[in-house]
This record gives sequence, structure tokens and C-alpha cells, in this order.
Amino acid sequence: MEKILSVNNLVISFRTPAGKVQAVRDISFDLNKGETLAIVGESGSGKSVTSKAILGILAGNSIVESGSIVYDGMDLLRISEDQFYHVRGDKIAMIFQDPLSSLNPIMRIGKQLTEAMLLKGKARQKSCRKEFNDTLALLSDAMVEAEATNESAKAAELRQMCKNFDKFEFKHIELEHEYSVAYEAALEVHDEIKDVLFYIEKNAFDDEKYTIKEIIRLVDDSINDWVVSGEDAVTLKQLIADLKKVASAGIQKKEYTEIARILKSMDVILAAALDKPEPDFFSMGYYVTFAGKPLPDMGVEELNAYLRDYADENFINRFRECAAGALKYNAEKYNALKKEALKVVEAHKSVFEADKLDKKACLDAAEVMTKAIDASIDRLEIHKDSIAYTFGSTIKILIHSYFEGIGKNVVASKKHAKQSAKYEKLVAKGKQPSWKVAPSTAVDLDLVQQNIVDLIERLTNHYEEVLAGADKRSYENETNELIKFFKNNASGVVMKVTKSMAKYKALKLMEEVGIPDVRKRYRQYPFEFSGGMRQRIVIAIALAADPDILICDEPTTALDVTIQAQILELINKIKKDRNLSIIFITHDLGVVANMADRIAVMYAGKIVETGTCEDVFYSPAHPYTWALLSAMPDVDTNEKLEAIPGTPPNMIYPPVGDAFAERNKYALQIDFEMQPPMFKISDTHYAATWLLHPDAPKIELPKIITERIARMKSKGGAVNAE
Amino acid sequence: MPNNENEEVLLRVEHLCQYFKINKAVDDVSFDIKKGEVFGLVGESGCGKTTTGRSIIKLYNITSGNIYFKGKRIAAGTLSYKNNIEAAKEQFETDKELIKKSPKSEAEKKEELTKKKEELNKYIASQRAEIKAARADHKRQKFNTEIQMIFQDPIASLDPRMTVGQIIAEGLIIRGEKDKKKIEERVYEVLEMVGLVREHAGRYPHEFSGGQRQRIGVARAIIMNPELIIADEPVSALDVSIQAQVINLLDDLRHKMGLTVLFIAHDLSVVKYFSDRIGVMYFGKLVELATSDELFAHPLHPYTRSLLSAIPMPDPDYEKQRKRITYVPLRDHDYTKEQPTLREVAPGHFVHCNQEEFDRYQQELAR
Repeated sequence: MEKILSVNNLVISFRTPAGKVQAVRDISFDLNKGETLAIVGESGSGKSVTSKAILGILAGNSIVESGSIVYDGMDLLRISEDQFYHVRGDKIAMIFQDPLSSLNPIMRIGKQLTEAMLLKGKARQKSCRKEFNDTLALLSDAMVEAEATNESAKAAELRQMCKNFDKFEFKHIELEHEYSVAYEAALEVHDEIKDVLFYIEKNAFDDEKYTIKEIIRLVDDSINDWVVSGEDAVTLKQLIADLKKVASAGIQKKEYTEIARILKSMDVILAAALDKPEPDFFSMGYYVTFAGKPLPDMGVEELNAYLRDYADENFINRFRECAAGALKYNAEKYNALKKEALKVVEAHKSVFEADKLDKKACLDAAEVMTKAIDASIDRLEIHKDSIAYTFGSTIKILIHSYFEGIGKNVVASKKHAKQSAKYEKLVAKGKQPSWKVAPSTAVDLDLVQQNIVDLIERLTNHYEEVLAGADKRSYENETNELIKFFKNNASGVVMKVTKSMAKYKALKLMEEVGIPDVRKRYRQYPFEFSGGMRQRIVIAIALAADPDILICDEPTTALDVTIQAQILELINKIKKDRNLSIIFITHDLGVVANMADRIAVMYAGKIVETGTCEDVFYSPAHPYTWALLSAMPDVDTNEKLEAIPGTPPNMIYPPVGDAFAERNKYALQIDFEMQPPMFKISDTHYAATWLLHPDAPKIELPKIITERIARMKSKGGAVNAE
Repeated sequence: MPNNENEEVLLRVEHLCQYFKINKAVDDVSFDIKKGEVFGLVGESGCGKTTTGRSIIKLYNITSGNIYFKGKRIAAGTLSYKNNIEAAKEQFETDKELIKKSPKSEAEKKEELTKKKEELNKYIASQRAEIKAARADHKRQKFNTEIQMIFQDPIASLDPRMTVGQIIAEGLIIRGEKDKKKIEERVYEVLEMVGLVREHAGRYPHEFSGGQRQRIGVARAIIMNPELIIADEPVSALDVSIQAQVINLLDDLRHKMGLTVLFIAHDLSVVKYFSDRIGVMYFGKLVELATSDELFAHPLHPYTRSLLSAIPMPDPDYEKQRKRITYVPLRDHDYTKEQPTLREVAPGHFVHCNQEEFDRYQQELAR
């Protein structure tokens, strides 16, 4: 499983007049590609804060105290707003709880859908161009080094090769783009004509003027050298002219026979065009750019073979070979450097494991390590090595927070001594003060130190893994991936986002999320939509930039049951179609069962239980999960519900031990004194409760849950049997 | 839970219609609520369940139909009578044409015409009397403290500038209670009933959590010693754990005070858990009405089936196999021949259907 996002040791608090509210207290989780992670918890448990931190939209009074959120070689907590511009919405998108408040009431739906595409179009073009150039430069350097030639002639040849690649790659994308626009148009108009003919036959043709106009536009678009060309194109143009002439009179008289005749003959040509095979534009791009002679006149398949041979012989084979060689050379070079880096890390690790850290030694060690690691990053790799990229900044911040923490703790302990003296005095007088004594330590130094050690360990483990897997790498595949990467970036540069193109894409998206009558809906305002439709629009907007990660913050809480089911199905479908990773935030466990691959249960800013969907529902381990499950009625519940007594703790003064202890009837004495660590139940299932300690008394699951699980099992069996 | 021995009807809604201009929010809805039971009303948003609740408590002047509370008419609409008059007038016009064309003598014609005219006038007078009576009844019962409402949003329904004590006591004061001591005692009493403490009376709503605010809403409703409580989505704005607290509270109070509850919600699991009988609404119409066990065991109307199939369950295996049924009125019903009405398919089980569907449903139940 490929990790796409990882959150490590995140701590976030909010400055408020009453004190510092600790919203998120040291949570860590990973998100894999194509999986749904559900974060479940009550309001105020910190689940929304986490998601907002990922998206960099925390409120102004928030303080990110420590931790890192690593995505694509960046630490999202530390990058500048300029860098975030390319991540937020583009790579990580969010769906909010209330669809009405996340849409602008005075803008038409169409404008809201295309707004971001148009705004971001230019920036995307620029960043794609930069990415393309940078990677190509790296590649050509690596090629030159790999061939290890001192002859400047050979080096020059290699560099020229990369330049040529640059040139024809763009030609290729241009040709392909033109073709796909025409082909899509032909496909669409083919369907449209079928519908229109059907309606004419059934005497139910309406909205004629608009439909005919649309057909004419699409047919016009479909004329392209590789879709409809030569004589066919001339005929089609003639037919369009005829249709224009006939249409207005025909529509007025409600006589459609002539129109139907023209449409039929159009359709014949289009259907033939759609059956044609697709030319190989990659080779053609090379031929057109460098052969210096017109394309030979032959059938498409023949032409493809000819072009491919020509390109392979003259360029591609050599290029592939050199690229694979360069990749291999690079990988070996950097693996050696990685080994070096590991040695350096190993040598300096002990500095951070001492009982008391020394500031200068720590900073020096961190610098040496960072230097070695930075040198060992293979920047030609497309999948960025997030841990290595962010290592330097993360460790620096951790060290600083440790040494600042020492000072803060001194201040806090003084304050604590003062307050507790006052408190005791008041208690001695027989009063019950309404305020609480602030804790004596502001920063948990041991925890920070542990985080540093963990970070180093994570890096070494990761590097060892990479080194161990070095033999299994297939450089041919990587070359293919690299070429694909170039292609994607080139198409990002070539495809200018125009208004009409954005509209076309928006309509496609609206269809994808299941909105009927898209052309009419495109021109409407949000108030004309029902709740479910609005949420679909919000999802379409989120998908507009084709993100990697979708964060859904209670997307169905404001909707009723049927619409909720529809939206959940839609999100599941999109996830499958686009291989999206989803973070799904909700307080309703019932919703999660259908959606999640993994579940993290949060309470008072901590993850108390995490596991796969089956783990959490069939063998819950934390009392809070039990409570959540038993507080929820299902259609077979008859007995009294087990409500969770009390309310979540005040996070200005978080409890010393397990935060749930006060509301927990299974709480042990130790729960009030010490925070439980994460106990491992299975490879996927962890829970933070002292009940899992080997010395703890054995406690049975609450009856209401065991009964429900038994019922579910029997029911599930029945479903299976059917 | 259902106590069938007690068959006294507390609230009867007859042919309730509530139109907003051309929007038929509630269209010809009839049901009874028996004393001591919990009647659940479910349906998707915009189907008119909240409007029904608000019409009963007379937040709207109903368009047509009657609402009886303990046998007394408390609200009545006039549109049906007006329509009757219009229809009678039209009938008279057509009759007139017919008489004119008939081959009878002039004198005969005239006599017949006057007779018809008299009939019409009599009918119009009777309908006008009905209208007058309806308006009088509607006005007379202006304040009814025996029906109280709990609102959905515990934040929006409490005045942020009043203390909790003032909010709870407001109803008593409006009813003319002047004795401060008595009011105070009563406020403390209901606060303790809903699981809050005396000290809370002096605080403001923003100092409370969502669940506690909803408790304040409940306290405000029960201080008037109502017979019927209309709970309009009282838990849908709350977290799961708090939801259970509020549901348990309502359940306790109901047994303690012998309350009758009209429970409006869209969360079917909660409704099933809490209600004795359930009515399902779809686009202003009551499409199915049955005891809650019967409804979940034998849903008949296709809309009810689609609703039930959409309930999320805390069970991954079940969820993975769940097939949601969609409801498409045009596909699922053929009402070209006969319009549907609410019919009793089995004792206590009503479905909105026409004769053909009625027969089919009965066969299905028999199986």
C-alpha cells in the first residue's frame, strides 16, 4: 500500500480568553492510496480541527505546537501560502457539512463550478512547465553522468536528445488534444442525434432550436484530420449548411422530416468516423517535428506501424535506453549515499537518547544528519520520498520546541505553586473555588524527546526498506512512468483552460455526480436546488481540480436518510472511479460501516481506538467505542439505550489520566492517574485503554453490543445465504 | 410498549391541508393519536412533517380540514367549504343551461329553476354557517397550553438574552401566574425533572452544551403540564451520545407524566425505537400508517420500502450487501385509472393506494 499522507504527533491548541484549549493532543495516522479513513468522535473531539490542519485553514487563534503532516515531499504545516496554493483544492479537496453555506447564494452554479478552474488554469500551466523543465534537466544531467563520457560531443548529443524530446512531446500533446476534442464531440453528437430521431418519431420533439444549435456546434467541432476528414468533412459541412437552412422553417411548421433526413445522413458519416482506430500520436509527433516531409498516405493502422518504426528507430529506443540507464545510475548513486546517510544517522543518534539533551550537540547532530539525508535524496524519482524531504525541518522544530519547553515549564511550575497554595488556602477556609489549578508542566519534554527518536527511527526504517528493495526495481517500468509524467505535465501546459472548455468540463462533472438536466441546472442559482443536489454540486466543485485526497467533513449530517444514502453511494462510486483517498469525518458510526476501510475513534483530542472497519464494529476494545455503539439505537433495539453520562472534559484543563475515565463505568484506578498507551490487539487494531493491559481485570463487552453483534452475524449470514 | 387498552383519542386530525400559495405542503392528511402513545412522523425533508406539527399547534392558520383535541375542535380550515360553494354554483349554472334547453313549457322551466335556486341558496347558507363555526372555533382556542412543542435547533430556539429561568417561566407568566415564589418553585421542579440543577436557572443558554440546551427546551415545554408534546426533530442536531440522553429523558418523562408525544424525525432507527405507531409522509401526503413493529416488518408502500432500505446500520458486512430501493412514483404506481386514497389494508395498517394496489397489498400480507 502506498502511503499518500501521514500525520505524525500532531498537537494543536487554541488561544481563548479563558485559557489554552488543547484541541488535538498528539495524534498520528497514515492514509493509503485509494482507501477511506473514517475519523469518528463527538463534537469537540478535535476531528474537524485535524482536517482543517491538513488543509491549512485553521482559525487565527490556533497554535500548531508540534507534529508534521507530510504529503508529497512537503510538510503541510510548514510550507508557505504560495506553495499551499498548489495543494489546497488541487491536490487535497474538502466537502463541508452544510452545502448551503459552502455555496455562494448570488452566483450561478455554473460560475461557481468553473471559477476555480479558470483561476487556477494559468498557475497550473506555469507549474507544469516548470516541473517539466526541471525534471528534464535532471534527467539529461543523469544521462550524461551515466554514460560517463568525457567527450563533450557525446554529452552534447545526449543533451540535444532531451531537447528534441521536449519539442516533439508538446507537438504530440497538441495533436492528441485536438483529436480528443473532435472525437468526444463526434461521440456526443452521435448519441444526441439518436435521441432526436427517437423523439421525432414519437412526436415528442421539444426545445428544438437549442438542440439543433447544439448539434450544429458539435458536428462542426468533430471535423478533424483524424476523425472526419477529406470528402466526409466536405459533405458534413454541406449538411450543416443544409440543416441551418431547413431548421428554422421546419421548426416553425413543426415538420421534421427534412431535418430527420439530414440528421440521418450526418449520423452515417459520424458512426463511420467513430469506428476508425486512433492514430499513435506519440510517434506522429516525432515524425511531424523531425522527419521534414509530409505524412505518407496510407490507412491509420498501417500508418501507425510505419510511424512507430520510424520513431523507434530514430529516437525512442535510444531515448528509453538512455533514460533507463540514467535512472539506474541515479538510483545506485543515491542508494550509496543513503547508506552513508544511515551511517551518519546511526553515529549521531545517541545524542537524542540521552537523559538530558544538550542544545548545541543536538543542533549540530541535526544539521549533520539533515545534510547527509538531503544529499541522499534522488530527486529524479517521481514519487517523492516524503519522509526524507521533510526530515530536516521537522527535527529542527522538535529540537526548538524541546528547549523552549524547558523555559515554559519553569514558568508554569511557578504559576502552579502559587495557584495551588491559594487553592489550598481557600479549601482550608471551607470554600469550593470554581477555578482549577493549572498543571505544573506546560510541555511534556519526554514526549517531545520520544517524538525526535521516533522520527529518526522512522527515517532509518524507511531507508532500510528502500535499500532492501533496490534489487527488485524495474527501471523499464520507471522509465514508462517517467514518460507518462512528462506527458501529464506537457498536457497541463498545452491545454489552456478557456471558458468554453471549463464549461464543458463542468457539465461532465455535473453528469458524473448524478445531476439530471445539466445544461438547465448549469444556469441556476443554489437556492433552486434541493439539499441533496446542493451537496452533489459541492462534491463536483471539489472534484473539479482532480484531487488526490478528499476530506469529507460530516457531508451527510444535514441531509435526511434517503438523500444521505444517495450521497454516500456517490462518494463511494467516485472513490472507486478515481482511486481517491478519502478522510471521512462523522459522529455517526452507522454511516461509517458502509464507507470506511479503516476507522479512527477520537475522544478529547486523542485517537483512542483505530482498526479496520470489521475490527471496530465486531470487536471494539475501548470503552468509549462501546459507549458510542450502545448509545445508538438500530431498528431492532428495544431495551433502554445506554446513554453516555456527563459531557466531554473541559480541554483547557485536560484530565491527567484517560480523558474518558470520568464518564466510563469500567474505569480503573490507574485511568485517573496515567494516560494509557496504545495497546496492540492485532496488526491493524490498536486501542488506548488500560483494560488491555495484561494485569487488568477481564471485562466482558456490554450486553447490548454482544447481542447486536450476534444479531448482525446471524443476519449477515442470512444475507450471505441468499 | 404500546398500551392498546387505552383507546381514548387525544388528537384527531381530519383532512388537514396546509397550502402556501400554490405549494401544497400538507395535502389531505388524517390520523388519530391515542392518549399515552408516541406517534412518529417520518419522511424526507420538505415532505410536510414539520408543517403538520406546526399546524396542530396553530403556528399556521390551516387551509382546510379539522383538528380535534380531546373531542373539541381547536383548529379548522375553510377552503373546503369555499370550494363546495364554488362547485355548487357551477353545478347550478350547468343545470340552468340544461333546463333552458329542455323541451318543457316556460312555466315548468321557471318553477324548476326557482326550486334549484332555492336549493343552492340553502346549501350556500349551510356552508357559510360551517365557515363561521370553523372560524369561531379556530379563534376561541387561541391559547392552548395543553399542547407544547420542542424545537429542532436548541441554539436557535432559546433567546440568548434571557436566563434559563426566565425562558422556562415565560409560559407560566403569559398564562397569568403572578406569584413569584410559585413560579420559582415550579421552575426548579422542572429543571430537576429534566436532569439539570437549580443553579442553572440563573445562567444563560450559551453556557450550556447542546444536550443541556435541548433539556432546557424540554423543561420549557413540560412546565405547562401539557397533555401532548410535539417534538420536532428534537435529537437530529445532537451527537449520538447526547442523542441517547435526550431520548431516554423524553421516555422517562412520558411514563412519569403520562405524556402523549407526536415525534417528528427523519432518523428511522430513532423513530422505531421511540414510537408506538408511525406515519410515513411523502410530498404532503400520508402514504402509510401502522404500528412501528408492523411497519418495519411489513412495509407495503414502495416509498416506505425505499426509506427502510436507506437506513445505515452499524454492521460492515450487512452494509456491503445492502441494496437500496429507489422510489420513482411514476414507475411504481399506475394512477391513470383510479386515484389513490388512504385505505386500511390490515387492522391498524393504512396505506395510500387505489383498489388495484389494495388487493395486491392484501395478498402480500396474507402470504
